[in-house]
Amino acid sequence: MHTIVCVKQVPDPEIPPAKFKIDPVAKKVIPPPGVPPVISVYDERAVEAACRLKDKHKGKITVISVGSEKSTDVVRHAISMGADDGYVLQDEAFENLDSFGTAYVLGKAIQKIGGYDLILCGRQAADWGAGQVGSILGEILGLPVITFACDIQAEDKKLKVKRILKDGFEVVEAPMPALVTVSSEIGLPRLPAGMALMLARRKQIPIWKAKDIGADLSELDRSKAHTEITEIFIPTRETKCEMISGATPAEVATNLVSKLAKMI
Amino acid sequence: MRGGETTMSPYKGVMVLGEMAEGRLAPITMELLGCGRRLADELGEELSVLLMGGKAGALAQEAIAYGADKVYVGEDSLFDEYNSDAYTQWIASFCQKTLPSILLIGHTDIGCDLAPRLNGRLKGGLSMDAVDLTIDPSTKLLISTRPIFGGNAYAKVVSKSARPQMVTIRTKIFSPAERNDSRQGEVILVEEKVDPSVVKVKVVDRIKEEVEGVKLEDAEVVVSGGHGIGSAKNFEMLWELARLLGGTVGATRRACDEGWIPVTRQIGQSGKVVSPKLYIAVALSGAMSHIVGCLGSKCIVAINKDPEANIFNVAHFGIVADYKEVLPALIQKFKEQRSG
Amino acid sequence: MASREVFWNISYGYLVYLLALVSIGIWLYGFYQRYRVWRLGRPDERSKEIGKRIGIFFRHIIVDVFAHRKFLRQPFSGIMHLTIFWGFIILLLASAVDAISYYSGFHLRGSIYLWFSLISDLGGFLILAGILMAAFRRYLWKPKSLNSVLDDGILLTSITAIIITGYMIEGLRQAATEIKPHPDWAVWSPGGWVFAKIFIDLSEGVLRSWHKFLWWFHSILTIGIILYSGLAFSKLQHVIVSPLNIFFRSLGPLAAPSPIDIEKAEILGVGEIKDFTWKQLLDLDACTNCGRCEDACPAWATSKPLSPRKLVQDLKGHMLKLYPNPVQSNENSSSLIGEGPTEAEIWACTTCAACQEACPVYVEHILKIIDLRRHLVLAQNKMPESAQLMLRNMQMRGHPWAGAQSLRLRGDWTTNLDLKVLAEGDQISTLLWVGCTGALVDRNVEVTLSLTRVLKAAGVDFAVLGEGETCCGDPARRAGYEFQFQLMAEQNIEIFKTHHIQEIITSCPHCYNIIKNEYPKYGGQFKVIHYTQLLWDLLKQGKLNLLNEIHSTLTYHDPCYLGRYNGIYSEPRQILKMIPKATLKEMKRSREKSFCCGGGGGHMWIEKQPGTQKISQKRIEEAIKTEVDTVVTSCPYCLQMFEESIENKDSLKAKDLVEMVELSLKKSS
Repeated sequence: MHTIVCVKQVPDPEIPPAKFKIDPVAKKVIPPPGVPPVISVYDERAVEAACRLKDKHKGKITVISVGSEKSTDVVRHAISMGADDGYVLQDEAFENLDSFGTAYVLGKAIQKIGGYDLILCGRQAADWGAGQVGSILGEILGLPVITFACDIQAEDKKLKVKRILKDGFEVVEAPMPALVTVSSEIGLPRLPAGMALMLARRKQIPIWKAKDIGADLSELDRSKAHTEITEIFIPTRETKCEMISGATPAEVATNLVSKLAKMI
Repeated sequence: MRGGETTMSPYKGVMVLGEMAEGRLAPITMELLGCGRRLADELGEELSVLLMGGKAGALAQEAIAYGADKVYVGEDSLFDEYNSDAYTQWIASFCQKTLPSILLIGHTDIGCDLAPRLNGRLKGGLSMDAVDLTIDPSTKLLISTRPIFGGNAYAKVVSKSARPQMVTIRTKIFSPAERNDSRQGEVILVEEKVDPSVVKVKVVDRIKEEVEGVKLEDAEVVVSGGHGIGSAKNFEMLWELARLLGGTVGATRRACDEGWIPVTRQIGQSGKVVSPKLYIAVALSGAMSHIVGCLGSKCIVAINKDPEANIFNVAHFGIVADYKEVLPALIQKFKEQRSG
Repeated sequence: MASREVFWNISYGYLVYLLALVSIGIWLYGFYQRYRVWRLGRPDERSKEIGKRIGIFFRHIIVDVFAHRKFLRQPFSGIMHLTIFWGFIILLLASAVDAISYYSGFHLRGSIYLWFSLISDLGGFLILAGILMAAFRRYLWKPKSLNSVLDDGILLTSITAIIITGYMIEGLRQAATEIKPHPDWAVWSPGGWVFAKIFIDLSEGVLRSWHKFLWWFHSILTIGIILYSGLAFSKLQHVIVSPLNIFFRSLGPLAAPSPIDIEKAEILGVGEIKDFTWKQLLDLDACTNCGRCEDACPAWATSKPLSPRKLVQDLKGHMLKLYPNPVQSNENSSSLIGEGPTEAEIWACTTCAACQEACPVYVEHILKIIDLRRHLVLAQNKMPESAQLMLRNMQMRGHPWAGAQSLRLRGDWTTNLDLKVLAEGDQISTLLWVGCTGALVDRNVEVTLSLTRVLKAAGVDFAVLGEGETCCGDPARRAGYEFQFQLMAEQNIEIFKTHHIQEIITSCPHCYNIIKNEYPKYGGQFKVIHYTQLLWDLLKQGKLNLLNEIHSTLTYHDPCYLGRYNGIYSEPRQILKMIPKATLKEMKRSREKSFCCGGGGGHMWIEKQPGTQKISQKRIEEAIKTEVDTVVTSCPYCLQMFEESIENKDSLKAKDLVEMVELSLKKSS
């Protein structure tokens, strides 16, 4: 069974709120110095899902990432969890793409790799969190798309996927090949350890450019972007605690509930 | 599809993808209609809504009363159970015929699954989990505001040329539309049937679960108890509140060490890190080792007898009281809200 | 001239030597069989250092073996064993003298002979006294940590029988030959003399036949016990195996794990009993099931499933079940973890080393546990979820404090301080290594700041790494996540070398221990000082003066990794004693006997067993009983654990030693 997992390297989300800085002009987020980037939370879960399938059914896991040269770190992390091969897709043309652009690049890489039974993505990126790349990628490749998976089983040539709903679960069946986006309910990803970690240290991770995957640069033209970000801003945070009071507990409750309704 | 936004553009109007729950219009639909009405008025265009399901026709008038100019009805009981492939194919085909300029979808189980796929098929421009929508007065483009980086910042998104401009809207952000039964509108039956060959993914089982199934790290609401809770039995109150709000229960290290609640519920430096929309800290002092696990919460409400408790330094709202008195009142209030 | 005929009344007495030789031969065979089982284990470096070890063994033999230094920590059983031990040494020498007399013809005479008799009898008394104490302890007193098996009963009764029959034999001989003609000689063998008085009226014929019978009975019983011991591998084997184990004891730093070659290793940790080294398997047989380690273990004391004694005995049982002899193996019959020690036991250890400190035969419990953890983590990816969260954070962010970065980043503590923070290309000879806890956890950041102020007041020239500092790797190594530790160690050594650092001051004993004792194996040899040593030096040199009075009763809690692991006990106390008006009281369990705070071995993060008392709570109870207002420590884990466990902060405060020092420093005007 061959699984391809798409992973992304993102700035570490675990920083003090006060250190979160943006450059409103460049429309970029500036991570604090000295904090290395990490693998996106949901993408790591996708790798974990792939590893669990490999534990059961043997086979192969290939990991791909659209990013910078530093993205080899997250690909290596995936290999140290149990993936077999990894590639980084890095090119000037691949920078600042919207969801369609990213899905296009991934699609091209996947077509080059070929021979897959399952594509796994995180349900959304931990940084910009658009939450679309997986589904659009599925469209491009003409695959059935299953989102928010918290458990993936494979039997014969069929997938049995448990999906997270707001108030419960749903179990769906789909033929392979298919694309599944993975949610964090799948559980804690395994520790990179043992033989996989030893392998990852030595592994060569090729960097593919636009020409390596046959990407049509006109598809990636900025002017063809489907969505654009016009502004980013940090909402002002009130640090003062607003005390809620009332003559009776019921009144306190009423006051609190009305305050909350406005906030969330 | 991509078309330019000119007065000659074939894309017009605001379309709402309505959702139904238990044979009635789901609350999100009313919120979408309210928001949609405002947008349509600003654009000087029509507000339409698509209702799908066996009972869709019966609800058409109600949708008009809530502000829709046109109600499209896909009256097929096949649509009563959401199926990703069927909905995507049918709605895409529908949109390709009706060509809405703006498509509003709820950020719900259905919406989160459907919208990206639909977008992939229609090749429009999608912005997910929007908390604000405006129309740019000069360009007439839809500007959506959505959270990024875990809610640390927000981004404003536009689609200059891709159509439709799609948004999934977070629930309970916009107020529901006002009902006006005297409103007039058009009801259009959509004849097309689903092409059965597109359905590759079949739903095999659906389990409605007690919210205990929601993982702590992903819950939108967390009710957390500390050493002041006093006993395992007292945690039941927190569970009740959590369930009501669709969330789950967490605890501080001390409460777990006492054995009142499984240690898998521990939040903090040596436990889980959570970032729900609402974090209710009950009878916990707010030691930094705990706080660190919940600082990412959008809104922290603290209930503690001690006015000097550290939790009040990080909470947004605070109540100095015995939780045994306040929690039952809160539970009662939320119950009233839910049924209302 | 006083003397006696060796082998009086015994014909073919020399047969006993023959029998002894044969039984020793059989014993050797039995021992060799077990030796081969030990050799099923992996190689151990210790087989290479024999020459050096011989020297050390004989240098320490007086204190460790002859004076029973460790045994006497538990006075009753210490004295009990001391008497049995010396009793047997005396009797062994006496028998040797007899054998020499027999073959050389040179016999002891006169007062030498009389003294010799007295001392010989004394040997027997000592043994009997010890056996009596032992039997009383085992069967009447019944301390919880003492398990009894049939073997114990067999040995106690046999030895008693051997000694008593020995006196009877003596008495019979004296009754037949000595007591009437030379009553003054007889009293020099008081044991025999007592029996002689009882037998005095028996006829010579009866005396002789009883004497002959009992003599052969005594001899055969003795030989029988040796055979039994050798073939059944009785606890009596400890007479040979335990000194052997002491001979092969660790000469390096305490519980320093061996590196795993990240490129070539085939076995990760210990998943099967054979994965242990032969020395670790030898340990299992050196253990006499005495229970001192169990008595000392803080996990056991707070009702966790771990008992070091049980762990060792379970491993031994598993080894013998799988390999009843070196040729036959029942390898499919069971798995080590689960049927031997359980995962709960393996994870319950805080690596405090109280067990190893208590063990008189130098069994090494900790490295076995770490080896088992390595297998669980590296080969099976199995660990408590809390450990996994911590280790994932080590791997992703370079420190164990998951979630802490939401509050502060690694280098934040240096903001607005006039400190030298090393940048690329900088060189400095003295580095202050702050540690993860001291940089990321609020309460401990206070201590770090205090330390920097004190060092500056003393004019120490040092620099810090700030955000460039990552974890020393100790939590990963102790939790079995060896590869991560190795990566971190190599990285840190590289950083030290690029900045040309020679001396490292640490705040945390865990950093101190691992950088000083374990980094050298990875190419990093630096002079490492714990801040308590430095402060003591500065005080002696007069660079710091403690002039402010502090009216407090203090007690000092010895951190495990500073005390037992590195022998630093006196400097912190000397410092505290220099604080004017402060009174220092000792807790009952202090210095080598210090009771762990519960934070080591990864336990700052690993979830506790719900429903059991926390180790730190138990320690705080002891502090409260000592009637002090402040418990002082010099380790960030200890400080954290105490802050968490002290219920009433008004009656007992937890402070770091440097905070006390700073309070007592005269403020410069």
